[in-house]
Amino acid sequence: MDEERFVELAGDIAVERAISLPADPDSVWEHLTDGNLVGDWMEGDVEIEARPGGRITMTPEDGSMVWGTVEEIIPGRRLQWSWRTDDGLPTQVEIELEPSEEGTDLTVRETLLPWKTSGLPPRWVDPPYPQAFLSAAA
Amino acid sequence: MRPHEVFAALADPTRLEVLTRLARSGPATATELSSSMPISRQAVAKHLVALSVAGLVERHPSGREVRYSFEPGPLGDLARWADDVGDTWDRRLDRLSRSIEG
Repeated sequence: MDEERFVELAGDIAVERAISLPADPDSVWEHLTDGNLVGDWMEGDVEIEARPGGRITMTPEDGSMVWGTVEEIIPGRRLQWSWRTDDGLPTQVEIELEPSEEGTDLTVRETLLPWKTSGLPPRWVDPPYPQAFLSAAA
Repeated sequence: MRPHEVFAALADPTRLEVLTRLARSGPATATELSSSMPISRQAVAKHLVALSVAGLVERHPSGREVRYSFEPGPLGDLARWADDVGDTWDRRLDRLSRSIEG
């Protein structure tokens, strides 16, 4: 399988959650990007360099470090990073904030990123995946 | 088999087509599959090996032929991965909400 084709056809397995929060987007943003506040709701110690290309690490209470790179930051609006979870799977996390009557609507989407398993270094790519298969298996 | 390996096995369109045909029409040999697809028997056989390694098809040798059947198990692993990730975010968002209301 040539590399281009892999990049073009690797899939998109994603999990999405949404929640309505009683605070304005700027306050919610602080909870997402302030290292002291993030640790309160993520699982474990979190360090985040809030800039594109910045490092993000999380050390869960029960295990090994999860590490990755901040990819996009729009203060008060959008935060995106990619990381490898403790079981070795690379994923991309996108968090979006929208102002609402109550305060803020937050949406989070975590997508499984395929990577080449040949001798080449891990390579993360964007996708469209056969969702039909997932629903068939569920 | 880890989710990303299953994933890689599904990432080729022709291979996905081979698997789709087995899932829809039931077990078949490489020869039968190639007769209804625009690729050679050898090419189909290669894809079947890759699918077999990923655990997505099962081999059933009978005489000189091998029939292959669709095995959905690894796709269940993907579904379980998605459930775990969803549970984790449910917990995190619940704590975030309480932390903000705090």
